[in-house]
Amino acid sequence: MNVDITDLTRRFGRTQAVAGVSLQAGAGVFGLLGPNGAGKTSLLRMMATVLPPTSGRLRLLDRDAGSYAPRREIRRRLGYLPQNLGYYPGFTVAEFVEYFALLKDMPPGRVPRAVAAAIEQVGLGDKARAKLGTLSGGMLRRAGIAQAIVNGPELLLLDEPTAGLDPEQRVAFRALLRDLGQRATVIVSTHLVEDVGAACTEVALMDAGKVVFHGTPDELIARGEGTGAAGDAPLERGYSAVLAAARSTTAVA
Amino acid sequence: MAAATAAPVRRRTPRATSAIPRGVTRLLWIELRRNAMPWILPLIAALFWFDSYRPSTGTAQLYGLRTFWNMGQGHTIIDFGPFVAGVAAWMGSRDGRRGLADLVTATGRPRWAAQLATWAATAIWAVAAYLVFVGVMFAWYAHQGVGGTPPWWWVAVGATAVTAFSAAGFAIGAYWPSRFAAPVAAFGGFLAMAMSSQTGFSHASGWAQILPTNSNGNFDQIDSGIFYPWLPDLPIARIMFLAGIAVAALGLTGLPARAGGPWLRRAAAVVTLAGVASAGIAVGLASSARLSAHGMVIPALHGAANDAPVTYTPACGHAAGVPVCLNPAYRRWLPDVNAALAPVLAEAAGLPGAPGRATQVAAAYPSGGSGPPQVITLGGHPPVLRMSLGQLDMPGPCGFAAAPWPRNCLPGSYGWRSPMPSRARAAAPAARCSRPCRPRCCEVPGYRSPRSLGCWPPPRTGQDPRRDRRPGRSTQRPGGSPPCRPRPGAPGSPFIWPRCGPAGSP
Repeated sequence: MNVDITDLTRRFGRTQAVAGVSLQAGAGVFGLLGPNGAGKTSLLRMMATVLPPTSGRLRLLDRDAGSYAPRREIRRRLGYLPQNLGYYPGFTVAEFVEYFALLKDMPPGRVPRAVAAAIEQVGLGDKARAKLGTLSGGMLRRAGIAQAIVNGPELLLLDEPTAGLDPEQRVAFRALLRDLGQRATVIVSTHLVEDVGAACTEVALMDAGKVVFHGTPDELIARGEGTGAAGDAPLERGYSAVLAAARSTTAVA
Repeated sequence: MAAATAAPVRRRTPRATSAIPRGVTRLLWIELRRNAMPWILPLIAALFWFDSYRPSTGTAQLYGLRTFWNMGQGHTIIDFGPFVAGVAAWMGSRDGRRGLADLVTATGRPRWAAQLATWAATAIWAVAAYLVFVGVMFAWYAHQGVGGTPPWWWVAVGATAVTAFSAAGFAIGAYWPSRFAAPVAAFGGFLAMAMSSQTGFSHASGWAQILPTNSNGNFDQIDSGIFYPWLPDLPIARIMFLAGIAVAALGLTGLPARAGGPWLRRAAAVVTLAGVASAGIAVGLASSARLSAHGMVIPALHGAANDAPVTYTPACGHAAGVPVCLNPAYRRWLPDVNAALAPVLAEAAGLPGAPGRATQVAAAYPSGGSGPPQVITLGGHPPVLRMSLGQLDMPGPCGFAAAPWPRNCLPGSYGWRSPMPSRARAAAPAARCSRPCRPRCCEVPGYRSPRSLGCWPPPRTGQDPRRDRRPGRSTQRPGGSPPCRPRPGAPGSPFIWPRCGPAGSP
């Protein structure tokens, strides 16, 4: 298992962002769904090893993320796209991607080819020499995706990767996700259930810091059938039904 | 043969040590290309021109004078420091301001290493610019025929100070990733420089010698780099101090949990402590500094080799038939000196003990107006008149000896103008005694400076030529020689030849 999480919690003062989450994931595209404030970003940041958990066990790529040396190994094999991606406006796309390739300790000899490939994969080949400060929001997002995949990660964590992408790019990105999922574990946090339906082999739904559903997209669709839950698409209805059920259970308790 | 063929081929694993420097070099190259420091350099260049170079051109063409303002008083550091600190803080706060801290932390290379690459690029730009600006200034000085040798040790101090400012500013930015970090760091740097200058003005000795803008030190001895080398003692202490600050500041950036692993953070703590220790030791060394005739001496750092005089071939001329020899750095003033000495030497010609040669010696001035005055001595067989050009109000004393000096003789904004008339004005009320001198010295009444003219004829063997020249001694000593009486000098000669005798004698 590339991701093995047991009873993971994270508190920010009195707020419990993640409350006892347990997850396992192997190769494939794993969708992480949930409303705002559900704890998806905190969970992803813990998996990215930038936010230490308050309690629980976090094993990634068969290594304990709690110790420094294994954590460093994990980071070398990790790709991460934060929700709010910052950028250095003076860097070109190629420099930005190369910068992170070097920070990821890639062998320098492999870097130029890897950078060019990553930029091509996100469709920014003609903008490789453009400065980031001159790019649109969608292009910046694609540059962020390029830096995440430049090292050929075994674990790819994408927080809202399709935000700001046009429909054509989203379709291309889903194809890229499916391709990456063949050989790596890709965890995609998103609000957009159609992304999950199109690309994910597995999905978890979080609410109030807990995982309230874990299964395949088809199973999520099945949860919504015949419930009269709101939604324009089957997956949306499943999403709404699971959330409603989880909240009613919490209210009763 | 078969065994050899069957043996597995052992492939050597590429050594990480050969790969890492390439990666670091490439990282540094990207940081250098996209650093913010070059944007501020035109402003620093303008400031450097107006604040460091331009005021220095009003002084005489000697490195000791030209660099007193910009190196001795640290104006080159003042011009660079605050801006460098501000830009370094901007770069240090970059990841935090741009929301990239998570992304940088989630990479295999420790965040401290990434930060050090960013800082190194900033510091390289700043130090390179400093060295280029100073180099161009010195090249221009050389083009103008400035005499002596440049104070290279003080250039090293300036470069280290720029490094320290960049490190301190970077640490501020790293700990406080805000858009206000840069102006706060710049203002803090300016404040530190202002306090350093003010403390330097009031503290001629002790710990304050370590402050980078404290001009008390080697620049007190204006013939540094001309008659003897610039002493490296105080510069070494200041380099230790400033490098210690830089190392400590960089070490601080490696202490947070995000910076790296436990061993790396421990290393950062050790580096921080080493920096603090270096700075502390340097302060202690500076406290033991004392002003010698060659500059500031720190006993623990002093090398005897630095006391060896610089060998040179003197530039000689003649005044009233007497050879007059100066250090080649003062060659341009040889005609003036000859003209000044000629009437007096002509007047003294034929008298017993009259000098057969006049030669320049190094000027040595006390800091703060205390200590022994400058003297002109006459001695040896045949008699040689030894003089520092300070006695003639040549560039030597300008601004570096005890007050009061004529303001137009001060360096910097005052400039050094027409030395001979200035000396003549200063010496106008000076004494000329009516009778040939006795073998002792005389005080020059009305001469406000503690300097006085030396003995002629020379004192007896064993007599301290300075003792009786202290104010009031030779004129008021009971039973002593009568005071000197002024009399007009030789027409057209600004140089006063002292002769002593009883007051009122013709």
